[in-house]
Amino acid sequence: MTHSTTIDPFTLEIVKDSLLAAGDEMFVALARTSMSPIIYEVLDYASGLTDAKGNLLTQGNGVTGFIGMLTFMVKETLKKYPGDQLKPGDIIIINDPYQGGGSHLSDVGLVMPIFHDGEIIAFSANKAHWTEVGGKDPGSFTNDSVDIFQEGLQFSCLKLYDEGKVNDALVEIIRSNVRFPDLSLGDMWAQVAALRTGDRRLQELCEKHSKETILAAINHLLDHGEEISRQELKKLPKGTFYAEDFIDTDGVGNGPFPIKVKVTITDDEFICDFRGSSPQVVGPVNCSYTGLVSAVRTIFLAITNPAQDVNDGVFRPLKVIVDPKSIMSAERPVPVSNYFETLLGSLDLVWKAMAPHLPNRLTAGQFLSVCAVTLSGTHQDTDEPFLIVEPSVGGWGASNRKDGESGQFCMADGETYNVPVEVAETRYGIMVDEYSLRQDGNGAGAGKYIGGKGVIRSYRALSDGQAVTVTFGRNKFLPWGVADGHDGSPNEFYVVASNGTTDGPFGVYPRYKLDTNDVVQLMTGTGGGYGHPKERPADQVAMDVKNGYFTIEEARDYFLVEVDPVTFDYKELAGR
Amino acid sequence: MRVATDIGGTFTDLVYVDVNGNIGVEKSSTTPPNFEKGVLDVIEKSGVDQSSISMFIHGTTVIINALTERKGAKTALITTKGFRDVLEIARGNRPDLFNVNYDKPTPFVERYLRREVSERVNYKGEVLTDLNTDEVKECIEYFKKEGVEAVAVSFLHSYRNPLHEQQTVQLIKELWPEVKVTASSDITQEWREYERTNTAVLNAYVQPAATTYINRLENELKTQAEIDQRYIMQSNGGTTKFEKAKEAPINMVESGPVAGIFGAAVLGEMIGEKNIIAFDIGGTTAKCSLIENGEVKVSTDYYIERDSRNAGYPIKTPVVDIVEIGNGGGSIAWIDGAGSLKVGPQSAGAYPGPVAYGQGGTEPTTTDANLLTGRLSPKNFDYNVNLDTVRSAIDTKIGNHFGISPEDAALGIIRIANSNMLNALKLISIRKGYNPQDFTLLAFGGGGSMHAPALALELGVKKVVVPIASPVFSAWGMLMTDLRHDYIQTYIQRMNDLTLEEIDRQWEEIEKNALQHFSEEGMESANVEFHRFADMRYLGQEHTVKVPVANGKWTEEARAQAISDFHKLHEKNYTFKLEEAQTEIVNLHVTAFGKVEKPQIAKLNRSGSVTDAQKEVRDVYYENKGWVSTPVYDRDKLPTNQVIQGPAIVEEKAAVTVIYDQQKLHLDDYGNIIIEKEDN
Repeated sequence: MTHSTTIDPFTLEIVKDSLLAAGDEMFVALARTSMSPIIYEVLDYASGLTDAKGNLLTQGNGVTGFIGMLTFMVKETLKKYPGDQLKPGDIIIINDPYQGGGSHLSDVGLVMPIFHDGEIIAFSANKAHWTEVGGKDPGSFTNDSVDIFQEGLQFSCLKLYDEGKVNDALVEIIRSNVRFPDLSLGDMWAQVAALRTGDRRLQELCEKHSKETILAAINHLLDHGEEISRQELKKLPKGTFYAEDFIDTDGVGNGPFPIKVKVTITDDEFICDFRGSSPQVVGPVNCSYTGLVSAVRTIFLAITNPAQDVNDGVFRPLKVIVDPKSIMSAERPVPVSNYFETLLGSLDLVWKAMAPHLPNRLTAGQFLSVCAVTLSGTHQDTDEPFLIVEPSVGGWGASNRKDGESGQFCMADGETYNVPVEVAETRYGIMVDEYSLRQDGNGAGAGKYIGGKGVIRSYRALSDGQAVTVTFGRNKFLPWGVADGHDGSPNEFYVVASNGTTDGPFGVYPRYKLDTNDVVQLMTGTGGGYGHPKERPADQVAMDVKNGYFTIEEARDYFLVEVDPVTFDYKELAGR
Repeated sequence: MRVATDIGGTFTDLVYVDVNGNIGVEKSSTTPPNFEKGVLDVIEKSGVDQSSISMFIHGTTVIINALTERKGAKTALITTKGFRDVLEIARGNRPDLFNVNYDKPTPFVERYLRREVSERVNYKGEVLTDLNTDEVKECIEYFKKEGVEAVAVSFLHSYRNPLHEQQTVQLIKELWPEVKVTASSDITQEWREYERTNTAVLNAYVQPAATTYINRLENELKTQAEIDQRYIMQSNGGTTKFEKAKEAPINMVESGPVAGIFGAAVLGEMIGEKNIIAFDIGGTTAKCSLIENGEVKVSTDYYIERDSRNAGYPIKTPVVDIVEIGNGGGSIAWIDGAGSLKVGPQSAGAYPGPVAYGQGGTEPTTTDANLLTGRLSPKNFDYNVNLDTVRSAIDTKIGNHFGISPEDAALGIIRIANSNMLNALKLISIRKGYNPQDFTLLAFGGGGSMHAPALALELGVKKVVVPIASPVFSAWGMLMTDLRHDYIQTYIQRMNDLTLEEIDRQWEEIEKNALQHFSEEGMESANVEFHRFADMRYLGQEHTVKVPVANGKWTEEARAQAISDFHKLHEKNYTFKLEEAQTEIVNLHVTAFGKVEKPQIAKLNRSGSVTDAQKEVRDVYYENKGWVSTPVYDRDKLPTNQVIQGPAIVEEKAAVTVIYDQQKLHLDDYGNIIIEKEDN
C-alpha cells in the first residue's frame, strides 16, 4: 500500500465496489441497446472508467482483446485537448489505429470526461465493433486491403459532442459513408447512452461520499490491483524465456512472417521483448502498438490471476518492448483490418514461451484465430441484403490435468456467443448443413490429455451472387502440443459447389463467390494435446472411440490401444 | 383447511390457513433422499388434522437437487442430422475471459448417446426432408442396448413446426412404452436450438426422479387423507396439478423460492402496495425481484450454475425473474490477497455454521457480526452461544488486520454485506429504469428483516414491510397461488406486415391449448384468465421488451397501442426509443391463470401497550454512534397500530427486525411490521 488515507477502509471498499458496479452497468447498457449482432451477440466491445489521468479503474469486457485500449484512448484525448479544452458534455470519437487506443477502424471508441465541481475527476469510455465503417468491402474489415484508406472512415480523436451539442456534420458524414447507417449510428447512440450512465453513477457517488473520498477510493483501487499482481509475480519462475512462430500470410500473397519474443521475469517486472519480429507488411495483418499491449496484458492476466478485477494498477509491473514499424507496432498508412490475428500471434508467443515452465497455469496451444467469416448476399425470401459478420469456435489446448475444451471462441474473444442455427437461417439467405465437432483422423491433439475439438460449420447459399470472405489464421502452423502431446489441426475451409466439385483447403480468402446450393465448409482447428498419448488410460481411449472423438486407427497408432468396433472392448498394445 | 409445504435445504416449512382465516406455521428437518418423509413429518408435527385438508400445495427442491447433484436418469438425445454436437458446442462463450483453464459446462448427454436422424424443416416451418422413421427405430434399439432411461428429441425449427418431433415421440412411445420421452417443442416453443435442446435434455434427465417422487408423495398423502386438490409450485409463480407436473418437471426447477416473490405480490395487494421489491435473505444467499403494478415478472432467461465465471446451462421455461447473490446470514467474512474485506460468497452453511453456533465454525460470518453488535442476542439462538469465541474470531480474522476493535470490524462486515445486497437491489431497480422511491421493500426469510431497514435508508425506499410468517414466507405465498401456465411461442413478424386475422388465429390457438390444459386439471373455463404479452424489439435488434397487449380480437387500435407501448417501455428499460424504426414481434406470450378461491386472512386487532411487549433493553453498536441502549420487543405481543420510534428491535421466532433512529414502525391490521422513515 503506497497511499495512506484517513477514510475508513470499509468506505473505500464500498466505493470501490460501487465503481466496479458502475462499470458493469455501463457494459450491460451498451449490449442491451445495440442494434448490431456483432455487439449484442458477440459482445465485441468494452467499456469502463479511468481516472483523470487515463489510468484504467474498471473495464467491462466482452472480449479480451480490448484490455489495453480504453486507457490509451483517454490518454490520447488528454494529449489532443490539453488544459481546459475539454468541457462538460464533450464526447470524443476515436478509431485511428495509429493513435492511442487504436486497433482497426471497425472498433470505434468514445470518450467522455466526467466533471465534478468544474474539474475532471474521471473518464467514461467505451469501444465497440461497428458492423460498418465504410471502406472497400461490406463489413469494412477485409483481408486484402493494402492501405488504411480502403478500410473505412477514420476518426482521429474528434469532438462528436461539443459541450453537450452533437456535431451534426460528423453524424451526416458517417450516415453517407457507411453501408448500414442505421446500425452504425444506432450503435453510436447506444455507446453515448452507456457513457452517460457512467457519468451519472459517478456524480451520485461524489454527492454521497464527497469527491475526496472518491479520489481516495480510486487510488485504493489501483494500489489493490498492483498489490495482487506483485504477489503473483513473486510466485513465477525468474529468468529469460524465448519463443518463435509465424504469422501465416498477410492476405495478399506474402508470408509467412517470423515473430519472436524474449520474456524476462524478475522480482518486480514482467518484460516482453518482441524485437526482431517481422517488419510491418503489405496486407492487413499489421497490429497496432495498442493491440500488442492488449495481447501482452491478456496473457499476463492469464498467467498471474485471471480472476481479479482489472485496472491499470494490475499492469504496473508489465513492460513491452518492440521495434518501430514492426508487424506488431504498425505505423500509418499500412492496413490493419485483421490486426487481431497478429495480436493473437503475439499473445501466443508469450504463452508458448512460458507454458513448459508454468504447467499448472498454462495449457497447450489453441486454434488461435478469430476465424472471422463475412458472408454477404440477398435473402431468398425478402430480397433484402444480409450480412453475416462472425467469429468461429474451435479447439482449445489440453492442460496437465484436463482435456482441452471443444468448440470455444479463441483467446482474443471471450463472452462471445455463436449465432444459433435457427436465428441464422431466419435472418440470412443460407441454410446450415452441419454444425458438428471435427474428427481429424490423424491423431491431431492426441495426448495424455487431448486437445479440444475444432468444429465444422457448413453454410449452403440459398441465392445466387453471395460472397464469403474467410480469414482463418493458424492454417499453416499448427496449435502446439506440450510434453509429447500432439499438435492440433489447422483452421481451413472448402467450397463444395452445387455440381459436386470441391475447392480448397484455404486459410485466408477474400470474396469467394457462392451461388445457390454452393456450400462453404468452415473447419476450425483442434487444440494441442498435453503429455504422451500412451499415458492416456486405455478405458478412456476406448470411450473416446465410442464417442467418435478418435477413430479405431488413431487409438491403435497413437494411443497404442486396440478397440473393438462393436463392443468397444479394448486391449493395450506393446509399448504402453 | 389449506396447507402449504416447502422443502428447503435445511428445513421443510409448513404454513396453513384454517376456515376462519387463522394462520399457523411449523418447521421440521428436511429428509434427503426421501424428501416426502419430511413433508409427512411436518404435517404431523403441526397437529393439522389431515382429514380436514381440502387443498395441499407443495414446493420442492427435488428437481434442482437432481440437476446440481447429477443424480438424474441416463439420458439420450435424438437430433436433426448434422446437429448432435449442438449440445456440446453450446454457445462457445467464456465468461471467465482471462482464464485459459476455463471449464466449459459438460453436456448432460455424452456424445455416443446423441444420435442423428434424417429430417429437415426450414425456418418457415416447411418440411424439406421427411422424418426417416427407420433411423428412429435404430436409435431406439441402440438406446435400449445402452440402458437408457430417458430420451429427449430436439429438431431444428420445431418451435415453428413440431410435426417431426411429435412423430418421433409417438413412435418411441409405441415401441418402447417404459422409457420417458420429451419433445423439445412440448417444453418450449422458442427458437435457439442449443437452449431448447438443453431444456429438453434436462427435462428428460429429471423426469424419472420427479415421477417417482410425486407418486410416492401422492400415495403417502392418499393413505393419510383424501385430498382432492393437490398442487405443485412451478417456477412461474403459479401451480399445476400433480399429474401435469410429471410431464414437464423442469417447470419446477425454482419451485420453492418463487413462492415468496409471488406471496409478496399477494400481500402487497392485501395492504394496498402495488409496487414492491421482494427481498429474501437466507443462510447462503439473498434473492430479490421487482414487482410492478402487482405483476410478478416472468421470463425464460433462466440458467443453472451460471455466474460471472461460468456459462451454466440454459433452461427456457418461465421462471420468475430473481437476482440471487452469495450473501446470507452464514456468509463468511475474509481478507483478500491485497488486504480488503470481503463477505461471501463462501458460506459456513448449516454445519458448522457461524462461529456463534459453537459447532466448530472458526470463520466469522454476517450472523456473528450481527451478534457482536447486539443486533442479535445469544438468546435468539438454539445453541449455547459463547460471545467471547465470536469476538475473538472477528478480532483475529478481521479486526487485527485493520488495527480496529472487534466491534468496528463487525460493523465493517455488516456494511460490506449490506453493500453487496444493495448492489443486487440496484440491479433490479435503478439499472432497469425504476426509481426505488416508488417501491416498498418487502423483506422475508431468516435475515430479511435484519438488513432491510438499513438497505431501505441507502436505497431511498420509503417503506419496509416485514410480513406475517416472514421466516416461512415462501410457504405462505404458496397458500395464495392460482393454477398458472405460461405459453411462449416464437413468432417472428414485423408489426407493420402483420394481418390482424393471422395474429388473432395465433392467440386463439394458444388460448385454446391453454383451456385444454386447464380442463385436464379440472379447472372450469369460467375461472380462467388470460394475460397476453408480445416480446417485441426494433427490427435488427436482439433483445426484446415484454409488452402487455390487448385481449380478444385485435383491431388497428390494438396494434397501434402495442407499438406505442413498446416505444415507451423500450425507453424506460434502455433510455432511448427509435420511433421511426420498424418494430417486430419475436414471441407471443400468454399467461393463463386458473383462479382458485383464496382464503381470507383474518385481521389481528391486538390491543395493549407497547411497554408490555418490551422484552428488554440491550446495547446495540451503530455506525457513528457507538453503543446505544435499544429497546427490544416481542412481535407476538406488539399491539396493532401503535408506533415505535427507532432505534428498536423486534424479535420473533427465527427472525429479528432492526430499525434505526430515522425510522419508526408499527404492526398493521394483519400483523405485518410496517417500517417508515421519520418525516423531517
